[in-house]
Amino acid sequence: MPSPGHELPRLYMVTYSRVFSFPEEELPSLVSSAVSRSRIIVQLREKHLDAARLYTLAARLQSAINKSDSLLFINERSDIALAVGANGVHMPEQSCPLSATRAICPGLYTGKSTHSVQSAITAEQEGADYLLFGPVFDTPLKRKYGPPQGVKQLGEICKNVSVPVFAIGGITPENAASCLDEGAYGLAAMSLFASPTNLHRTIESFQTILNHVHHE
Amino acid sequence: MNKLLCFITTQQDNPEIVAEEALKGGTGMIQLRHKNASGHDLFTWALSIGKMCRRYGALFIVNDRLDIALAAGADGVHLGQNDLPIDVARKLLPSPAIIGCSVSSVHEALDAQQKGADYIGLGHIFPTGSKQKENAPLGPEYIRTVKQSVDIPLIAIGGIGLDNAREVMSNGADGLAVISAISSAVNPAEAARELAIIIEQT
Repeated sequence: MPSPGHELPRLYMVTYSRVFSFPEEELPSLVSSAVSRSRIIVQLREKHLDAARLYTLAARLQSAINKSDSLLFINERSDIALAVGANGVHMPEQSCPLSATRAICPGLYTGKSTHSVQSAITAEQEGADYLLFGPVFDTPLKRKYGPPQGVKQLGEICKNVSVPVFAIGGITPENAASCLDEGAYGLAAMSLFASPTNLHRTIESFQTILNHVHHE
Repeated sequence: MNKLLCFITTQQDNPEIVAEEALKGGTGMIQLRHKNASGHDLFTWALSIGKMCRRYGALFIVNDRLDIALAAGADGVHLGQNDLPIDVARKLLPSPAIIGCSVSSVHEALDAQQKGADYIGLGHIFPTGSKQKENAPLGPEYIRTVKQSVDIPLIAIGGIGLDNAREVMSNGADGLAVISAISSAVNPAEAARELAIIIEQT
């Protein structure tokens, strides 16, 4: 199992299973199909599900990902990450402290959502293996987190930390290069799962851009 | 397990305050339950209430969130029927850590015992305003029925207060869990003390 220290994939997909009628069936099959073409991170983030359903879904995603070199991260619930043998746990900003989570999850990647330079620096000090920063651009799914932060602010974050930073929030193949130019390590998106019909084409477009711009 | 009074925290901003009153009155177990709180708040409360419980020699468990229970070093976790499966939780939380399970039938009680639960929370016994319930109350006599089927301790829950605690205990419960009987009392510590006395005497 890949563990911290290995190079992280640069494309990061956050699940959005509410578009599916049967998420426990449809999401794993979508993830299987995605990881068969590309090495990605899949973050299971389904806050509306109770822990029993979340566990079932996580276990299915883990078996869909097992045979690939992609990684499964679970949002916030380190217990579920440990229970299904996921590769990591991703902590929202108002979550159990990263240091406490790392203490019970040795060997798992731990990441953190950040919305400011200060919180990014703090997260790195607490031991985050990577950060999500956003929303970089305007997106209906992220409006509750405030106005878009813009690529300049993304650049500020990337200058102030040394761990990989993934840009999130309204990332499209059209604006992705501008994030990488500002120093982002990778690209994260929820909309990939919100419009599953174009999944392969979208992944391909992002991969082309990522292959074109090497992270330094 | 000795006969036990369990206090479950309410959905309010600072559960520590009533928790401490409950402990002063002799509560033997505090369960932190807050369905909408952030992980950050839950962890902060878990640390402080856990510390408080150790000072009073009481047990501290977290509802649903095994991640918080593990991170904060709680004595255990309490799982509902829609939470993590007990056998899954047990692998992450070996004995002597405590796993409790909410049940409302003999079938669920047997299942919980078989999967490794340390105790069952049977309810709701009486009508309750603390939680929205779809099913009719089980009634205190049902405690006997369940006790005949399982060996692990049974903590009764749901609509229990000073007026009916004795009836619950005399039907064979090993303890009782309350929310509003303590949290809504004019004097929560005194309410806990009176409940603890009933439990001891029955």
